[in-house]
Amino acid sequence: MPAVETHGLSKRYGSLVAVEDLNLAVQAGEVLGVLGPNGAGKTTAIRVLTTILAPSRGSFAVAGFPHTRPAEIRRRIGVLPESAGYPERQTGEEYLSYHARLYGQTRGGARAVARQLLEEVGLLERRTSLIASYSRGMRQRLGIARTLVNDPDVVFLDEPTLGLDPAGQRQVLGNVQRIARKRGAAVLLSTHLLTEVEENCSRVLILNRGRVIGEGTVAEVVQRAAAPRSARLHVAPEHAELAAAVLSNTDGVEVGRADGQPGWLTVVFAPPGEHTADGSPNDAVRTLLDSGVTLLSFELEGARLSDAFLAMTEAA
Amino acid sequence: MAAVEQVAEQTVRERSAPGWAVVLHQELRDLWMGGRGLLLSFAFSILLSVIAYLVATNSALNFLEHRESVNVTLQVAVAVGGLLALLAGADAVSGERERGTLESLLLTPVSRSQLASGKLLAALSLWLAAFAITVPYVWFLGRGISIVGDALITGFVVGTLLAVFLSSLGLVVSLFAGSNRVSLSLSLFLLLALFAPTQLPSSAQKGWAGELLLRVNPVTAGEHYVGKIVVNGHPWSEDVSWLLSPMVAAVVFAAAVPLLGARFIQLRGGVSG
Repeated sequence: MPAVETHGLSKRYGSLVAVEDLNLAVQAGEVLGVLGPNGAGKTTAIRVLTTILAPSRGSFAVAGFPHTRPAEIRRRIGVLPESAGYPERQTGEEYLSYHARLYGQTRGGARAVARQLLEEVGLLERRTSLIASYSRGMRQRLGIARTLVNDPDVVFLDEPTLGLDPAGQRQVLGNVQRIARKRGAAVLLSTHLLTEVEENCSRVLILNRGRVIGEGTVAEVVQRAAAPRSARLHVAPEHAELAAAVLSNTDGVEVGRADGQPGWLTVVFAPPGEHTADGSPNDAVRTLLDSGVTLLSFELEGARLSDAFLAMTEAA
Repeated sequence: MAAVEQVAEQTVRERSAPGWAVVLHQELRDLWMGGRGLLLSFAFSILLSVIAYLVATNSALNFLEHRESVNVTLQVAVAVGGLLALLAGADAVSGERERGTLESLLLTPVSRSQLASGKLLAALSLWLAAFAITVPYVWFLGRGISIVGDALITGFVVGTLLAVFLSSLGLVVSLFAGSNRVSLSLSLFLLLALFAPTQLPSSAQKGWAGELLLRVNPVTAGEHYVGKIVVNGHPWSEDVSWLLSPMVAAVVFAAAVPLLGARFIQLRGGVSG
């Protein structure tokens, strides 16, 4: 049974459609990246799935409980809301203990959970410091620890790396991986950072204006998006003419030269389906090597999730 | 992971506190250990010291007899204690909303009614502290006359009823206010409106219309009752009908907090990304 399952889920505010006909299934231990431009409905979708907002239409189940039993769902989920606030005058340990007690822990049990989670997110040494003295990255890690006080089956993280420096992002994403792998929880990770998704998510869901416009593994989404792809080639300068001639004769490939850069060529590949398999980057490279061209570098552009994301959201 | 499971088992064995009690405990910690409650209580004690000093020594005011002095002090304590409870109530939900800490509370299994109830009880602690501070002042001003005990009991009963009413009123305003500033401003405005009749000339407070105005308003009715007991020396049962509106207001608003809280403690807006 999926940890999260939705059927035709919609949320409207009057005439404004925030989420429309959302169908998804997330398995335990899986990290689903939820992508979309601002206003795409990511936060609304998370708020509906976490029972903060009631759906306008459709149904969903989280951790095996239908949306008609919100209290049961809340017992089994952990949520880091977007731009979550923190009580400045509480210490990290006090904050986590409080939340653990709200989930029914005894005072002693709550303290033990708090310390264990603080250690897990690398904040044990700062457990008695006021949250006011925490950096943004530390607060986010504290927020992630808070999502785990009830040992949840499903964790929702809404923009957990927003405003963090690269080191902070890395620490937070390390925690996300641990949640899925060690705890076996399903994770829904809403983010703007596409590299984050490529590196950390088993599957991707792209939302735009409340609708799903892409879903699958990163490779599937990229392939389906049919984003224009190009490549920069660096060949031995004496082979530049030969390489250009070989590629010009390849179906579905357009070749150009980079001005003032001997040995550099630019190649544009036709979208899949419009031409034969000869237009694929792999075949182009193979043809060059078969022709005896010394290939120094081959840098493919347009095959990343960011390219697919732009192609999909701009087309929609 | 194993530790969390172990603790979960231990929790089942030990039996945990109800949600409202957990919220109350944390709110009390935040209020008193965080320093806000202490600061407000300190300011209140300075105000009471000034008033007690003036009524006891000032040549323009010391014509007041002991009973009047005790009454003035008690009335100030009830009014300011109610104000503090009102402000704590007015910050309860809108403040959490504004600080971005409400959503994480709503995501816990604790019901919204219990959240509201815990916060209401914590707000009342400010009144209890204000009353505790008032006791020695009343004792000092009332020494030599046998009204200290009656005055303190009356002040406690009336003050508690008004504090329950006012903190609940503030919390209800806080549920609906778009921002914390609006919640605090509107609550203060309502409090001033409730106290306004006490400033009317005594001629306007007479007659059936004047008395009705005083009786219907929980604040004026409560203060009037305190005056009757402390100044006029009436037995508590003689004017007990004046306690009707404070009692009704306290019960109705205190009941409204969990009921309205269950439905209206919610986030504002919704579509962000």
